[in-house]
Amino acid sequence: MLLSLLIFLPVLFALIVAMLPEKVIRPASLLMSLLHFALSLVLFYRFNPSSAGLQLIEKTPWLPTFGVNYFVGIDGISFWLVILSTFLTPLVVLGSWTAITEKIRSFHICLFLLSSAMIGTFLALDAILFYAFFEASLIPMYFMVGVWGGARRLYATMKFFIYTMAGSLFMLVAIIALIFMTQEQLGTMSASIPDFYKLQIPFVAGDLLNTQTILFFAFALAFAIKVPMFPVHTWLPDAHVEAPTPGSVILAAVMLKMGTYGFLRFVLPIFPLAAEYWAWLFMLLGVIGIIYGALVAMVQPDIKKLVAYSSVSHMGYVMLGIFALNIYGVTGGLYQMLNHGISTGALFLLVGMLYERTHSRQIADYGGLAKVAPIYTIAFIIVTFSSIAVPLTNGFIGEFLILLGGFEANKIFGGFAVLGVILGAVYMLWAVKRIFFGAPGKLVGGGGDTGHGGHGVHAGHGHGHAAHGSHDDHSGLDLEIGAREMFVLAPLVILIFWMGLFPSDFLNWSKASLDHLVQNRTNYQLNVEE
Amino acid sequence: MEIQFGLIDFLLVAPAVALFVMSCVPLLIKVMRGNQEQNTMATLVYAYTGVFAAMGFCLPTIGATRTAFEGALVFDGVSAFATIVILFCTAVALTFARDSQSTNPKQFTETVFLMMNAAVGMLTMVWANDLIIVFVGLELFSLCLYMMIAMSLEEKVSKEAAFKYFILGSFASALMLYGISFIYGTVGSTYLPELLSSTQNLLATNRLFLLGFVLLIVGLLFKAAVFPFHAWAPDVYQGAPTPLTAFMATGVKAATLAFFLRLVASQAFTVERFWPFVDVMQWMIVLTILIGNVGAFRQRSLKRMLAYSSIAHSGYVMIGMIAAGIGGASMLGATGVMFYIVSYAIMTIGAFGVLHMLEPRPDSDLTVEDLRGLAARKPWLALALTVLLLSLTGIPPTVGFFGKFFLFSAAVKQGLIWLAVWGVIGSIISVYYYLRPVVAMYMEEPVIAPAQVNMRPLSYFAVSFLALLVLVFGIASEPLYQVVLASVAKVF
Repeated sequence: MLLSLLIFLPVLFALIVAMLPEKVIRPASLLMSLLHFALSLVLFYRFNPSSAGLQLIEKTPWLPTFGVNYFVGIDGISFWLVILSTFLTPLVVLGSWTAITEKIRSFHICLFLLSSAMIGTFLALDAILFYAFFEASLIPMYFMVGVWGGARRLYATMKFFIYTMAGSLFMLVAIIALIFMTQEQLGTMSASIPDFYKLQIPFVAGDLLNTQTILFFAFALAFAIKVPMFPVHTWLPDAHVEAPTPGSVILAAVMLKMGTYGFLRFVLPIFPLAAEYWAWLFMLLGVIGIIYGALVAMVQPDIKKLVAYSSVSHMGYVMLGIFALNIYGVTGGLYQMLNHGISTGALFLLVGMLYERTHSRQIADYGGLAKVAPIYTIAFIIVTFSSIAVPLTNGFIGEFLILLGGFEANKIFGGFAVLGVILGAVYMLWAVKRIFFGAPGKLVGGGGDTGHGGHGVHAGHGHGHAAHGSHDDHSGLDLEIGAREMFVLAPLVILIFWMGLFPSDFLNWSKASLDHLVQNRTNYQLNVEE
Repeated sequence: MEIQFGLIDFLLVAPAVALFVMSCVPLLIKVMRGNQEQNTMATLVYAYTGVFAAMGFCLPTIGATRTAFEGALVFDGVSAFATIVILFCTAVALTFARDSQSTNPKQFTETVFLMMNAAVGMLTMVWANDLIIVFVGLELFSLCLYMMIAMSLEEKVSKEAAFKYFILGSFASALMLYGISFIYGTVGSTYLPELLSSTQNLLATNRLFLLGFVLLIVGLLFKAAVFPFHAWAPDVYQGAPTPLTAFMATGVKAATLAFFLRLVASQAFTVERFWPFVDVMQWMIVLTILIGNVGAFRQRSLKRMLAYSSIAHSGYVMIGMIAAGIGGASMLGATGVMFYIVSYAIMTIGAFGVLHMLEPRPDSDLTVEDLRGLAARKPWLALALTVLLLSLTGIPPTVGFFGKFFLFSAAVKQGLIWLAVWGVIGSIISVYYYLRPVVAMYMEEPVIAPAQVNMRPLSYFAVSFLALLVLVFGIASEPLYQVVLASVAKVF
C-alpha cells in the first residue's frame, strides 16, 4: 500500500488544490507536499537495504490478456530517486512562492500530477506501466513550460514533447517485442520487468541487425533523449531556458534521472551483451557530452543557459559511469544522479531568485554582487563547489567514483573526462567571478552605500525597474535573499555537505542492489520479495 | 426458390425497423402540420427513442450467432458490436446536429430522417451476409450522406463537397459492383459464407475471381479513405456540416471496417496468389499514414486537420487488418481493429463535437488561432478537447494509447515490425498538430475578440461524456478488450 500511496497521493492533492480557495493554495500545497515527503521517509523503516531484491511489492492484473500488471516495487536503485522527488516538491512549492504569479491553481495541479507520474516511473516494475508513467509525466511538464515559461516557451515546450515522445514510441515497439518474447520463452505473456530479465535475447557480436542490438538501441534512444545525451540533447537548453524556475528545477533534478534510471533498470540488465559490446559508444558520447557541454557553457552570456549546458556535461559523467560497467562507475553514476539533482536544482533556484528581482539573466549585467548580497553569494558559491566537485562536497564523491570507474574501463575516456572536470571548474568559477566580484554591474548598483539604503524600502519596485532596461539607477534593488529563500536553500546546502562528508550514509541503501547489478550483469535476476 | 421468414427474422432486424419507423414519425408530423417544423427538441426525442430502442433490440442478440431472411443477414459478435458503435455514434451526431449552427432549423426533421436512415444503411452493411445486401446498405447510407452534406446552411463549400463526394463515391460504388459482378460470374452466387469458404481455393485458381475480389476491396478502401483513394476525404470532411463530419468519420468507417473484417476472416490474405496485392496494400498503408500525418501537419483549418488525421488513423487501423489477414485471421489483429474502431469513434466524434460548439456561424472554418485563450474562457470544454486530442496522439492513460498498443502488438506478433515502425513515425509527426490546439488554448492569448461559444447543454454533456469515456476506457481497457475479444471470437 505504501508505494501506491506515494504514487497516487499527489493525484488526490491535485484534486484538493482544484477545489481550494485561491488564497490558501500555496500554504496548503506546501503542507501537502511536506506530508508526502514525510510519508516517503517511512521507506527508511520499511526498506531493507541488505537485500538486492525488489521490495514492498504490489501486483494486481491490469491488462491480463497481455500479461500487463499494475506492478510496483522498490529496490536500491529506485530508492533514492523516489526520496529525491518527494524531497524536492516542497522546496519547489516554497521556491515558486513569488516566482509564479499567474494561474496559481493550475500550476500546483501540474506540480502534483508531475510528482505522481515521476514517482510512478521510478516505482513501476511493469514495462507498460512504466511507459504509461514515463509518457504521462510529459504532459504536466509540457504545460509548465508552455504556460509559465519565457518568451520562446511555445517552441521550447513543443520541441521537448516531440523529442521525448519520438524516442519513447520506438521503445514501445521494443516493449511489445519483449512481451511476445516472454510468451515464446517463458510460456506466458508478461510485461513485468523481472520477467524480461529472464529472457535470452539472441545476440551476434559485430552484426548490427540482430535482435538484441536492435531492441537495445530502441530502448537506449528513448533514454538517451531523456538524459539527454550528446547528440540528442538539443531540446534541453531550450526547455531549461524557457521553463519557469520550478519547471527547470524539476526537469533537471528529477526528470532527467528517468533517462539514466532507465539505463540501469532496463538497458543494462535486459540487454547485457549488447550493452557490453556498445559500451564504448556510450562512454564516447558521454565524454563528448562532458567536454562539449563544458565548452558551450563557458561561452554562454545567460546564466540559466550556462547551468543548462552544465547539465549536459554532468549527465555525461553519469553516462560514462553507468557504461563503465564496473562497481565504481555504476555507484558513482547513481550518486552523481542525486548530486546533479541537488546541485543543479539549487543552481536553478538561485538563478531564479536573482531573476525575480532584476529580470535579467545576463552575466554581463552583474558584478560585485558579493558586496550587496553576501548570503546569496555564499550559497551560490557552496553550490558551485558542489557542481565542480570540490572535495568535502557531494560532487567530489560522485565524480571521483565515476573517474575511477572510467579509468578502469578505458584509460583514454577516463583521461578526457578529467579534462572535463578542469573545464567544469573553469566555466563555473569564471561565471562566479564575473557575477559576484569585480566592479559592480549595471543592475547591481554603484557605490558601497547601495546595500544599506535600498533595504526593504524599494524591494517591491523590482518589477518597475526591470521594465525599463535602460534605467540607470538600480541602486534601489534589494538583491539579498529573504528568510523564505534561505529556508529553500538550507536543506540543499546541508545535503551537499552531508553527502560529501558521509557518503556511506547514502550509498549503503543502494549498495546491495548495485553490487548485484554489476556482479550478475550477464545473468541478472531480481527476486521479488513478497 | 421459396423464401420463408418468420417472426424471429423481424425481431433480429428490429433495430433497423425501430430506426426507420422513428425517423418517419417526425416527418409525418411535419407533413400533417402543413410543412411546419415542430420543436427541434421534440424531433430529437423521437430520434433518441428510435436509437435507444434499436440499442435495446440489439442487446438480446449478443452472444449467439443467428442468420435471418434465409441467411441474407447474419447476427454475430462483429455485427452486434459494430451495431452498438454505430448507434452510439448516431445518437451523439443527432445531438450535435440539433445544436449546430450549420443545421437549417427549417429542415431539422429531414436531417434527422436522413441521418437515421444512413444508420439503417450502416447496420445493413454490417449485418450483410450477401454481397448484394452489402451494396444496398452501402448505397443507402451513401445517398443519405450526399444529401445531408448538401443541406448545410453554408452555401458554397458544402455543395462542392456533396458533389465531389457523390461523383467519387459513385465511382467507387461502381468499381465495387463491377467486382461483385466478376465474383458472381465465377461462382454463381453472392452469398458470403459460400464465397468465403471457397475464397482461398478460388483466389488460387481463378483470375477473374481475384480481380473481382480486389475491386471489392478497393471499394471498401475508398470508403475508409486509404491512399490512393483518400483524396475526397479532406474536402468532404471540411465542407460537410461539422456534426455530419463527425458522423461520417466514425459511422462509415465502423461499418466499412466491420465488413472488411468479414472478408479478412476468409483467410484470403494467406493465399500465395494474393500476396502481391497484400504487399501493395502494405505500401498503401505506409503512404496513408504518411500522407495523413504530413497533410494534417500543414493545415490551418482544424476541420481539415482532423480530416487528414482521420486518414492517418485509417492507416493505423489497416495495420491491424493486415496483421489479422496474413496471420491466418489472427485474433490479435482482428481484436486490435475492433478495439481501434471503438476508441477512434469515441475520440474523433468528441473532437468534432467540440469544434462544432466553437463555430459561431454556419460557414465558419475554425483555425488554430480561433482557439486561443479558450482555457481561460471555457476551462472544462478546453480540458475535454485536450483529453480527446491527447487520446488521438496516443498518450497513456487514454483509450487511444491502448488502441495503438493493440494494433502495434498485432503487427509485431505477425512480424510486421516495419509497419509498426511506420505507425510510430506517423504518431511522432502527429504530436505536433494535435498539440498545437492545446498550445493555443492554454498558452496563447486571443488577438481578436473571441466568438461566442455555443454552449448548448446536450452537446456539452455529450463531449464531456466522451472525454470521460476516453479516460475510463484508457485506465480500464481490459473489460472493453474482453468484450471485443468475445465479439470477434465467433467470427474468426
